[in-house]
Amino acid sequence: MTFLRRQLPLAITLIMGVTFALQYYIPHPISEDAITHLSKWMQIISGFALVLGLASLFQVHATKIRRKVPGWGYSVILYLAMLVTVLVGLFWSKGQTRVDGLQTGFGWIYDYTMVPLQATMFSILAFFIASAAYRAFRARSREAALLLAAAIVVMMGRVPLGQFLLPWTWDITQWLLNVVNSAARRAILIGVSMGAVALSVKIILGYERSYLGGGKDQ
Amino acid sequence: MKEFARRMISIDRRIIFLLIALATLLPLLHPFGLPIKVSPEVRGVFDHIEGLPKGSVFFLSLDFDPSSKPELEPQAIALLRHAFRKDLRVIGMTHWLTGTALADSIFVSVAKEMGKEPGKDYVFLGWSPGTGSLVIAMGQDLYKAFPTDYAKSATLGMPVLQGVRNLRDVNYLVSLAAGNPGIEMWYVFGKDKYRFEMGGGSTGVMAPGLYPFLRSGQINGLIGGLQGAAEYETLIGVMGKAVAGMDAQSADHFVIISLVLLCNVFYFVLRGEKGRPANA
Repeated sequence: MTFLRRQLPLAITLIMGVTFALQYYIPHPISEDAITHLSKWMQIISGFALVLGLASLFQVHATKIRRKVPGWGYSVILYLAMLVTVLVGLFWSKGQTRVDGLQTGFGWIYDYTMVPLQATMFSILAFFIASAAYRAFRARSREAALLLAAAIVVMMGRVPLGQFLLPWTWDITQWLLNVVNSAARRAILIGVSMGAVALSVKIILGYERSYLGGGKDQ
Repeated sequence: MKEFARRMISIDRRIIFLLIALATLLPLLHPFGLPIKVSPEVRGVFDHIEGLPKGSVFFLSLDFDPSSKPELEPQAIALLRHAFRKDLRVIGMTHWLTGTALADSIFVSVAKEMGKEPGKDYVFLGWSPGTGSLVIAMGQDLYKAFPTDYAKSATLGMPVLQGVRNLRDVNYLVSLAAGNPGIEMWYVFGKDKYRFEMGGGSTGVMAPGLYPFLRSGQINGLIGGLQGAAEYETLIGVMGKAVAGMDAQSADHFVIISLVLLCNVFYFVLRGEKGRPANA
Protein backbone atom coordinates (compact mmCIF):
# COMPACT_ATOMS: atom_id res chain seq x y z
CA MET A 1 0.00 0.00 0.00
CA THR A 2 2.85 2.36 0.87
CA PHE A 3 4.26 1.79 -2.61
CA LEU A 4 0.98 2.76 -4.30
CA ARG A 5 0.27 5.70 -2.00
CA ARG A 6 3.74 7.12 -1.69
CA GLN A 7 6.58 5.78 -3.82
CA LEU A 8 4.66 5.38 -7.10
CA PRO A 9 3.23 8.96 -7.17
CA LEU A 10 6.64 10.34 -6.21
CA ALA A 11 8.32 8.35 -9.01
CA ILE A 12 5.69 9.47 -11.57
CA THR A 13 6.12 13.11 -10.47
CA LEU A 14 9.92 12.91 -10.75
CA ILE A 15 9.95 11.21 -14.17
CA MET A 16 7.19 13.37 -15.70
CA GLY A 17 8.53 16.58 -14.16
CA VAL A 18 12.08 16.09 -15.45
CA THR A 19 10.97 14.70 -18.84
CA PHE A 20 8.59 17.53 -19.67
CA ALA A 21 10.85 20.25 -18.34
CA LEU A 22 13.51 18.96 -20.76
CA GLN A 23 10.95 18.45 -23.55
CA TYR A 24 10.54 22.22 -23.86
CA TYR A 25 14.13 22.48 -25.10
CA ILE A 26 14.04 19.48 -27.51
CA PRO A 27 12.18 20.29 -30.73
CA HIS A 28 12.46 16.70 -32.08
CA PRO A 29 9.34 15.05 -33.65
CA ILE A 30 9.31 12.33 -30.94
CA SER A 31 9.43 14.99 -28.24
CA GLU A 32 6.66 16.97 -30.01
CA ASP A 33 4.53 13.81 -30.28
CA ALA A 34 4.99 13.17 -26.58
CA ILE A 35 3.77 16.65 -25.61
CA THR A 36 0.81 16.31 -28.03
CA HIS A 37 -0.28 13.07 -26.32
CA LEU A 38 0.37 14.41 -22.85
CA SER A 39 -1.66 17.55 -23.46
CA LYS A 40 -4.59 15.31 -24.47
CA TRP A 41 -4.20 13.31 -21.22
CA MET A 42 -4.15 16.53 -19.21
CA GLN A 43 -7.34 17.70 -20.95
CA ILE A 44 -9.05 14.43 -20.04
CA ILE A 45 -7.86 14.69 -16.43
CA SER A 46 -9.18 18.28 -16.31
CA GLY A 47 -12.57 16.95 -17.48
CA PHE A 48 -12.59 14.52 -14.56
CA ALA A 49 -11.69 17.37 -12.19
CA LEU A 50 -14.89 19.09 -13.33
CA VAL A 51 -16.92 15.96 -12.50
CA LEU A 52 -15.19 15.76 -9.10
CA GLY A 53 -16.02 19.42 -8.43
CA LEU A 54 -19.67 18.81 -9.29
CA ALA A 55 -19.81 15.72 -7.08
CA SER A 56 -18.23 17.65 -4.21
CA LEU A 57 -20.77 20.48 -4.64
CA PHE A 58 -23.63 17.98 -4.48
CA GLN A 59 -22.15 16.35 -1.38
CA VAL A 60 -21.63 19.65 0.50
CA HIS A 61 -25.19 20.81 -0.18
CA ALA A 62 -26.71 17.38 0.53
CA THR A 63 -25.09 17.52 3.98
CA LYS A 64 -26.48 21.03 4.54
CA ILE A 65 -30.00 19.88 3.64
CA ARG A 66 -29.76 16.69 5.74
CA ARG A 67 -28.57 18.61 8.81
CA LYS A 68 -30.94 21.52 8.13
CA VAL A 69 -28.19 24.06 8.81
CA PRO A 70 -29.20 27.77 8.61
CA GLY A 71 -29.83 28.68 4.95
CA TRP A 72 -30.41 25.06 3.87
CA GLY A 73 -33.24 26.29 1.66
CA TYR A 74 -30.68 27.84 -0.69
CA SER A 75 -29.11 24.41 -1.10
CA VAL A 76 -32.50 23.02 -2.17
CA ILE A 77 -32.77 25.85 -4.72
CA LEU A 78 -29.27 24.99 -5.99
CA TYR A 79 -30.30 21.34 -6.40
CA LEU A 80 -33.50 22.27 -8.22
CA ALA A 81 -31.76 24.81 -10.48
CA MET A 82 -29.05 22.33 -11.35
CA LEU A 83 -31.55 19.55 -12.01
CA VAL A 84 -33.77 21.72 -14.23
CA THR A 85 -30.76 23.05 -16.18
CA VAL A 86 -29.32 19.56 -16.72
CA LEU A 87 -32.68 18.08 -17.76
CA VAL A 88 -33.51 20.93 -20.14
CA GLY A 89 -29.94 20.91 -21.51
CA LEU A 90 -29.74 17.17 -22.07
CA PHE A 91 -33.24 16.25 -23.19
CA TRP A 92 -34.73 19.35 -24.83
CA SER A 93 -31.71 21.21 -26.17
CA LYS A 94 -29.18 18.57 -27.27
CA GLY A 95 -26.68 20.25 -24.95
CA GLN A 96 -26.65 23.38 -27.09
CA THR A 97 -27.76 26.96 -26.52
CA ARG A 98 -28.60 27.51 -30.17
CA VAL A 99 -29.74 25.09 -32.90
CA ASP A 100 -30.01 26.33 -36.50
CA GLY A 101 -29.79 29.91 -35.28
CA LEU A 102 -32.71 29.46 -32.88
CA GLN A 103 -32.36 29.70 -29.11
CA THR A 104 -32.97 26.45 -27.23
CA GLY A 105 -34.47 26.06 -23.74
CA PHE A 106 -30.95 25.69 -22.37
CA GLY A 107 -29.97 28.94 -24.12
CA TRP A 108 -33.03 30.65 -22.66
CA ILE A 109 -32.07 29.58 -19.12
CA TYR A 110 -28.54 30.87 -19.73
CA ASP A 111 -29.58 34.21 -21.26
CA TYR A 112 -32.38 35.02 -18.84
CA THR A 113 -31.10 33.66 -15.53
CA MET A 114 -27.33 33.10 -15.58
CA VAL A 115 -26.41 36.31 -17.43
CA PRO A 116 -28.59 38.76 -15.42
CA LEU A 117 -27.81 37.05 -12.08
CA GLN A 118 -24.04 37.20 -12.59
CA ALA A 119 -24.20 40.74 -14.00
CA THR A 120 -26.28 41.86 -11.00
CA MET A 121 -23.87 40.31 -8.50
CA PHE A 122 -20.97 42.15 -10.10
CA SER A 123 -22.74 45.47 -10.63
CA ILE A 124 -23.81 45.86 -6.97
CA LEU A 125 -20.09 45.98 -6.16
CA ALA A 126 -20.09 49.59 -7.39
CA PHE A 127 -22.47 50.55 -4.58
CA PHE A 128 -20.51 48.72 -1.88
CA ILE A 129 -17.16 50.05 -3.13
CA ALA A 130 -18.50 53.63 -2.99
CA SER A 131 -19.81 53.10 0.54
CA ALA A 132 -16.58 51.39 1.69
CA ALA A 133 -14.42 54.11 0.10
CA TYR A 134 -16.41 56.81 1.93
CA ARG A 135 -15.90 55.12 5.31
CA ALA A 136 -12.40 53.67 4.97
CA PHE A 137 -10.34 55.74 2.51
CA ARG A 138 -8.83 58.26 4.93
CA ALA A 139 -5.52 60.06 5.07
CA ARG A 140 -4.58 58.64 8.51
CA SER A 141 -0.84 58.63 7.72
CA ARG A 142 1.58 60.02 5.13
CA GLU A 143 1.50 56.72 3.20
CA ALA A 144 -2.31 56.66 3.24
CA ALA A 145 -2.40 60.28 2.04
CA LEU A 146 -0.07 59.41 -0.83
CA LEU A 147 -2.24 56.45 -1.79
CA LEU A 148 -5.34 58.63 -1.59
CA ALA A 149 -3.80 61.30 -3.84
CA ALA A 150 -2.64 58.70 -6.40
CA ALA A 151 -6.09 57.06 -6.41
CA ILE A 152 -7.86 60.37 -7.01
CA VAL A 153 -5.50 61.32 -9.85
CA VAL A 154 -5.90 57.89 -11.53
CA MET A 155 -9.68 57.93 -11.10
CA MET A 156 -9.81 61.37 -12.74
CA GLY A 157 -7.27 60.52 -15.45
CA ARG A 158 -9.08 57.34 -16.52
CA VAL A 159 -12.44 58.95 -17.38
CA PRO A 160 -13.37 61.62 -19.96
CA LEU A 161 -14.85 63.98 -17.34
CA GLY A 162 -11.59 63.97 -15.37
CA GLN A 163 -9.55 64.44 -18.55
CA PHE A 164 -11.79 67.36 -19.48
CA LEU A 165 -11.75 69.11 -16.08
CA LEU A 166 -8.11 68.40 -15.20
CA PRO A 167 -6.22 67.51 -18.41
CA TRP A 168 -2.91 67.00 -16.56
CA THR A 169 -4.34 63.95 -14.71
CA TRP A 170 -4.11 61.98 -17.98
CA ASP A 171 -0.31 62.31 -18.21
CA ILE A 172 0.23 61.62 -14.53
CA THR A 173 -2.06 58.57 -14.71
CA GLN A 174 -0.10 57.20 -17.68
CA TRP A 175 3.16 57.75 -15.78
CA LEU A 176 1.82 56.13 -12.59
CA LEU A 177 0.56 53.08 -14.51
CA ASN A 178 3.57 52.65 -16.77
CA VAL A 179 6.38 53.43 -14.36
CA VAL A 180 5.44 53.23 -10.68
CA ASN A 181 2.77 50.52 -10.98
CA SER A 182 4.79 48.46 -13.51
CA ALA A 183 7.89 48.51 -11.32
CA ALA A 184 5.99 47.37 -8.22
CA ARG A 185 4.04 44.71 -10.12
CA ARG A 186 7.19 43.45 -11.82
CA ALA A 187 8.89 42.99 -8.46
CA ILE A 188 5.87 41.05 -7.17
CA LEU A 189 5.75 38.92 -10.35
CA ILE A 190 9.45 38.07 -10.16
CA GLY A 191 9.09 37.10 -6.50
CA VAL A 192 6.00 34.96 -7.16
CA SER A 193 7.64 33.31 -10.20
CA MET A 194 10.81 32.46 -8.29
CA GLY A 195 8.65 31.00 -5.52
CA ALA A 196 6.72 28.93 -8.09
CA VAL A 197 9.98 27.61 -9.61
CA ALA A 198 11.32 26.71 -6.16
CA LEU A 199 8.07 24.96 -5.22
CA SER A 200 8.03 23.07 -8.54
CA VAL A 201 11.61 21.83 -7.98
CA LYS A 202 10.68 20.75 -4.44
CA ILE A 203 7.63 18.84 -5.74
CA ILE A 204 9.59 17.18 -8.57
CA LEU A 205 12.39 16.12 -6.23
CA GLY A 206 9.92 14.87 -3.63
CA TYR A 207 10.71 17.35 -0.85
CA GLU A 208 7.19 18.84 -0.96
CA ARG A 209 4.65 16.03 -0.51
CA SER A 210 1.49 17.75 0.70
CA TYR A 211 -0.18 17.03 -2.68
CA LEU A 212 -0.13 13.32 -1.79
CA GLY A 213 -2.75 13.97 0.88
CA GLY A 214 -2.69 13.67 4.64
CA GLY A 215 -2.79 9.86 5.06
CA LYS A 216 -0.96 8.21 7.91
CA ASP A 217 1.67 6.92 5.46
CA GLN A 218 2.81 10.44 4.52
CA MET B 1 -19.50 72.08 12.78
CA LYS B 2 -18.25 69.05 14.74
CA GLU B 3 -21.80 67.81 15.24
CA PHE B 4 -22.47 68.14 11.51
CA ALA B 5 -19.19 66.32 10.70
CA ARG B 6 -20.07 63.56 13.17
CA ARG B 7 -23.46 63.07 11.54
CA MET B 8 -22.02 63.14 8.03
CA ILE B 9 -19.26 60.65 8.74
CA SER B 10 -21.79 58.05 9.87
CA ILE B 11 -24.25 58.83 7.09
CA ASP B 12 -26.73 56.10 6.13
CA ARG B 13 -25.11 54.06 3.36
CA ARG B 14 -28.41 54.01 1.45
CA ILE B 15 -27.84 57.71 0.68
CA ILE B 16 -24.49 56.78 -0.90
CA PHE B 17 -26.23 54.00 -2.86
CA LEU B 18 -28.81 56.52 -4.09
CA LEU B 19 -26.09 58.97 -5.22
CA ILE B 20 -24.31 56.21 -7.14
CA ALA B 21 -27.58 55.08 -8.73
CA LEU B 22 -28.35 58.65 -9.85
CA ALA B 23 -24.79 59.17 -11.12
CA THR B 24 -25.16 56.01 -13.21
CA LEU B 25 -28.69 56.53 -14.48
CA LEU B 26 -28.79 60.22 -15.33
CA PRO B 27 -25.82 60.23 -17.79
CA LEU B 28 -27.26 57.13 -19.46
CA LEU B 29 -30.57 58.96 -19.98
CA HIS B 30 -28.95 62.29 -20.88
CA PRO B 31 -25.40 61.64 -22.19
CA PHE B 32 -23.03 64.60 -22.24
CA GLY B 33 -20.72 62.97 -24.81
CA LEU B 34 -17.25 64.09 -23.78
CA PRO B 35 -14.42 63.24 -26.20
CA ILE B 36 -12.51 59.99 -25.57
CA LYS B 37 -8.73 60.22 -25.48
CA VAL B 38 -6.90 57.20 -26.94
CA SER B 39 -4.01 55.70 -24.97
CA PRO B 40 -0.89 54.14 -26.58
CA GLU B 41 -1.82 50.80 -24.95
CA VAL B 42 -5.12 50.54 -26.85
CA ARG B 43 -3.60 51.95 -30.02
CA GLY B 44 -1.04 49.10 -29.89
CA VAL B 45 -3.80 46.49 -30.45
CA PHE B 46 -5.60 48.63 -33.04
CA ASP B 47 -2.45 49.34 -35.07
CA HIS B 48 -1.45 45.69 -35.16
CA ILE B 49 -4.86 44.57 -36.46
CA GLU B 50 -4.92 47.50 -38.90
CA GLY B 51 -1.56 46.36 -40.27
CA LEU B 52 -2.63 42.74 -40.90
CA PRO B 53 -3.23 41.88 -44.56
CA LYS B 54 -6.62 40.57 -45.72
CA GLY B 55 -7.11 36.86 -44.92
CA SER B 56 -4.72 36.87 -41.93
CA VAL B 57 -5.66 34.64 -39.02
CA PHE B 58 -6.93 36.54 -35.98
CA PHE B 59 -7.59 34.52 -32.83
CA LEU B 60 -9.93 36.00 -30.23
CA SER B 61 -10.16 34.25 -26.87
CA LEU B 62 -13.11 35.51 -24.84
CA ASP B 63 -11.95 34.46 -21.38
CA PHE B 64 -14.75 35.87 -19.27
CA ASP B 65 -18.25 35.08 -18.05
CA PRO B 66 -21.43 37.16 -17.71
CA SER B 67 -20.21 38.91 -14.52
CA SER B 68 -17.68 40.86 -16.63
CA LYS B 69 -20.01 41.34 -19.59
CA PRO B 70 -20.46 45.14 -19.18
CA GLU B 71 -16.71 45.75 -19.54
CA LEU B 72 -15.53 42.98 -21.84
CA GLU B 73 -18.43 42.53 -24.25
CA PRO B 74 -17.94 46.04 -25.76
CA GLN B 75 -14.23 45.21 -26.21
CA ALA B 76 -15.09 41.94 -27.98
CA ILE B 77 -17.66 43.63 -30.22
CA ALA B 78 -15.27 46.44 -31.20
CA LEU B 79 -12.43 43.98 -31.96
CA LEU B 80 -14.70 41.73 -34.02
CA ARG B 81 -16.09 44.67 -35.99
CA HIS B 82 -12.53 45.77 -36.75
CA ALA B 83 -11.38 42.26 -37.72
CA PHE B 84 -14.40 41.59 -39.94
CA ARG B 85 -14.05 45.00 -41.57
CA LYS B 86 -10.43 44.12 -42.40
CA ASP B 87 -11.60 40.74 -43.85
CA LEU B 88 -9.49 38.77 -41.41
CA ARG B 89 -10.22 35.10 -40.76
CA VAL B 90 -11.39 34.97 -37.16
CA ILE B 91 -11.06 32.01 -34.79
CA GLY B 92 -12.81 32.32 -31.44
CA MET B 93 -12.92 30.33 -28.25
CA THR B 94 -13.24 30.68 -24.48
CA HIS B 95 -11.46 29.16 -21.49
CA TRP B 96 -14.39 30.02 -19.22
CA LEU B 97 -17.10 27.36 -19.32
CA THR B 98 -19.79 29.68 -17.95
CA GLY B 99 -19.00 32.25 -20.64
CA THR B 100 -19.36 29.92 -23.64
CA ALA B 101 -22.91 30.81 -24.67
CA LEU B 102 -22.21 34.52 -24.12
CA ALA B 103 -19.10 34.35 -26.32
CA ASP B 104 -21.07 32.48 -28.99
CA SER B 105 -23.84 35.09 -28.99
CA ILE B 106 -21.26 37.89 -29.38
CA PHE B 107 -19.72 36.14 -32.40
CA VAL B 108 -23.10 35.36 -33.97
CA SER B 109 -24.51 38.89 -33.53
CA VAL B 110 -21.42 40.77 -34.82
CA ALA B 111 -20.96 38.34 -37.73
CA LYS B 112 -24.62 38.81 -38.71
CA GLU B 113 -24.25 42.60 -38.53
CA MET B 114 -21.10 42.48 -40.71
CA GLY B 115 -22.49 39.90 -43.17
CA LYS B 116 -19.99 37.17 -42.24
CA GLU B 117 -20.67 33.43 -42.42
CA PRO B 118 -19.69 30.75 -39.89
CA GLY B 119 -17.16 28.27 -41.22
CA LYS B 120 -16.21 30.56 -44.09
CA ASP B 121 -15.28 33.86 -42.42
CA TYR B 122 -15.11 32.83 -38.78
CA VAL B 123 -15.32 29.85 -36.47
CA PHE B 124 -16.24 29.75 -32.80
CA LEU B 125 -14.62 26.69 -31.24
CA GLY B 126 -16.38 26.93 -27.89
CA TRP B 127 -14.92 25.59 -24.64
CA SER B 128 -12.84 22.55 -23.81
CA PRO B 129 -11.24 21.59 -20.47
CA GLY B 130 -7.56 21.92 -19.76
CA THR B 131 -6.71 25.67 -19.89
CA GLY B 132 -2.88 25.54 -20.15
CA SER B 133 -2.79 22.00 -21.50
CA LEU B 134 -5.52 22.92 -23.97
CA VAL B 135 -3.33 25.76 -25.28
CA ILE B 136 -0.44 23.29 -25.65
CA ALA B 137 -2.77 20.87 -27.46
CA MET B 138 -3.86 23.66 -29.83
CA GLY B 139 -0.23 24.62 -30.33
CA GLN B 140 0.54 21.07 -31.39
CA ASP B 141 -2.59 20.33 -33.45
CA LEU B 142 -5.69 22.52 -33.51
CA TYR B 143 -7.88 19.76 -34.99
CA LYS B 144 -7.04 17.26 -32.24
CA ALA B 145 -7.80 19.85 -29.58
CA PHE B 146 -11.06 20.89 -31.28
CA PRO B 147 -12.32 18.22 -33.72
CA THR B 148 -15.63 20.14 -33.92
CA ASP B 149 -16.65 23.74 -33.32
CA TYR B 150 -19.33 24.97 -30.89
CA ALA B 151 -22.09 24.18 -33.43
CA LYS B 152 -20.72 20.59 -33.75
CA SER B 153 -19.42 21.12 -37.33
CA ALA B 154 -16.14 19.36 -38.13
CA THR B 155 -13.24 21.82 -38.01
CA LEU B 156 -11.06 19.87 -40.45
CA GLY B 157 -11.68 21.19 -43.95
CA MET B 158 -13.41 24.41 -42.86
CA PRO B 159 -12.59 27.18 -45.40
CA VAL B 160 -11.81 29.65 -42.58
CA LEU B 161 -9.12 27.28 -41.22
CA GLN B 162 -7.42 26.65 -44.57
CA GLY B 163 -3.66 26.53 -44.02
CA VAL B 164 -4.05 26.61 -40.23
CA ARG B 165 -2.59 23.54 -38.50
CA ASN B 166 -1.83 24.90 -35.06
CA LEU B 167 -1.20 28.11 -33.10
CA ARG B 168 2.02 28.76 -35.03
CA ASP B 169 -0.22 29.71 -38.01
CA VAL B 170 -2.05 32.41 -36.04
CA ASN B 171 -1.02 35.95 -37.02
CA TYR B 172 -2.42 37.72 -33.99
CA LEU B 173 -4.11 36.59 -30.80
CA VAL B 174 -6.04 38.71 -28.33
CA SER B 175 -7.27 37.35 -25.02
CA LEU B 176 -10.03 39.36 -23.35
CA ALA B 177 -9.74 38.19 -19.78
CA ALA B 178 -11.58 38.67 -16.50
CA GLY B 179 -9.00 36.67 -14.53
CA ASN B 180 -7.20 33.37 -14.79
CA PRO B 181 -7.18 31.55 -17.23
CA GLY B 182 -6.53 34.56 -19.40
CA ILE B 183 -3.71 36.71 -20.73
CA GLU B 184 -0.89 35.35 -18.52
CA MET B 185 -1.86 31.76 -19.27
CA TRP B 186 -1.98 32.46 -23.03
CA TYR B 187 1.47 34.01 -22.82
CA VAL B 188 3.09 31.28 -20.70
CA PHE B 189 1.70 28.25 -22.55
CA GLY B 190 1.03 29.78 -25.96
CA LYS B 191 3.01 32.76 -27.19
CA ASP B 192 6.26 31.81 -25.52
CA LYS B 193 6.39 28.41 -27.27
CA TYR B 194 4.38 28.88 -30.48
CA ARG B 195 5.64 32.37 -31.33
CA PHE B 196 2.55 34.32 -32.35
CA GLU B 197 2.04 38.02 -31.68
CA MET B 198 -0.31 38.75 -28.84
CA GLY B 199 -2.40 41.55 -27.35
CA GLY B 200 -4.74 41.66 -24.39
CA GLY B 201 -7.89 43.13 -22.98
CA SER B 202 -9.05 42.99 -19.40
CA THR B 203 -11.42 44.37 -16.80
CA GLY B 204 -10.43 47.75 -15.38
CA VAL B 205 -9.45 46.27 -12.03
CA MET B 206 -7.07 43.75 -13.65
CA ALA B 207 -5.40 46.12 -16.10
CA PRO B 208 -2.72 47.64 -13.80
CA GLY B 209 -1.44 44.12 -13.03
CA LEU B 210 -0.81 43.50 -16.74
CA TYR B 211 1.38 46.55 -17.35
CA PRO B 212 4.67 44.66 -16.72
CA PHE B 213 3.76 42.31 -19.63
CA LEU B 214 3.05 45.34 -21.78
CA ARG B 215 6.26 47.16 -20.94
CA SER B 216 8.37 44.04 -21.56
CA GLY B 217 6.75 43.50 -24.98
CA GLN B 218 5.18 40.19 -23.99
CA ILE B 219 1.90 41.69 -25.15
CA ASN B 220 1.91 44.51 -27.68
CA GLY B 221 -1.24 46.29 -26.51
CA LEU B 222 -3.75 46.34 -23.70
CA ILE B 223 -7.41 47.33 -23.68
CA GLY B 224 -8.29 48.12 -20.07
CA GLY B 225 -11.89 48.11 -18.87
CA LEU B 226 -14.78 50.13 -20.26
CA GLN B 227 -12.45 53.08 -20.91
CA GLY B 228 -10.27 50.84 -23.14
CA ALA B 229 -13.34 49.60 -24.99
CA ALA B 230 -14.51 53.20 -25.52
CA GLU B 231 -11.06 54.10 -26.89
CA TYR B 232 -11.24 51.17 -29.33
CA GLU B 233 -14.74 52.19 -30.43
CA THR B 234 -13.39 55.70 -31.05
CA LEU B 235 -10.51 54.29 -33.13
CA ILE B 236 -12.78 52.18 -35.37
CA GLY B 237 -15.29 55.04 -35.59
CA VAL B 238 -18.27 52.96 -34.44
CA MET B 239 -19.60 54.21 -31.13
CA GLY B 240 -21.25 51.52 -29.04
CA LYS B 241 -22.06 50.60 -25.45
CA ALA B 242 -18.62 51.57 -24.14
CA VAL B 243 -18.69 55.19 -25.29
CA ALA B 244 -22.28 55.45 -24.00
CA GLY B 245 -21.23 53.99 -20.65
CA MET B 246 -18.23 56.27 -20.16
CA ASP B 247 -20.43 59.23 -19.19
CA ALA B 248 -21.95 57.15 -16.39
CA GLN B 249 -18.49 55.96 -15.33
CA SER B 250 -17.22 59.55 -15.34
CA ALA B 251 -20.09 60.65 -13.10
CA ASP B 252 -19.58 57.67 -10.76
CA HIS B 253 -15.86 58.42 -10.40
CA PHE B 254 -16.71 62.05 -9.71
CA VAL B 255 -19.24 61.14 -7.00
CA ILE B 256 -16.84 58.67 -5.32
CA ILE B 257 -13.97 61.20 -5.36
CA SER B 258 -16.26 63.89 -3.90
CA LEU B 259 -17.45 61.50 -1.16
CA VAL B 260 -13.88 60.46 -0.27
CA LEU B 261 -12.73 64.09 -0.11
CA LEU B 262 -15.74 65.09 2.00
CA CYS B 263 -15.19 62.19 4.34
CA ASN B 264 -11.55 63.23 4.80
CA VAL B 265 -12.62 66.81 5.59
CA PHE B 266 -14.98 65.49 8.30
CA TYR B 267 -12.25 63.14 9.53
CA PHE B 268 -9.85 66.08 10.00
CA VAL B 269 -12.54 68.14 11.73
CA LEU B 270 -13.10 65.30 14.22
CA ARG B 271 -9.43 64.25 14.54
CA GLY B 272 -8.23 63.96 18.10
CA GLU B 273 -11.74 64.03 19.46
CA LYS B 274 -12.59 61.27 21.93
CA GLY B 275 -15.78 59.24 21.80
CA ARG B 276 -16.26 59.37 18.04
CA PRO B 277 -18.80 56.94 16.54
CA ALA B 278 -17.41 53.40 16.32
CA ASN B 279 -17.69 53.27 12.54
CA ALA B 280 -16.16 56.72 12.03
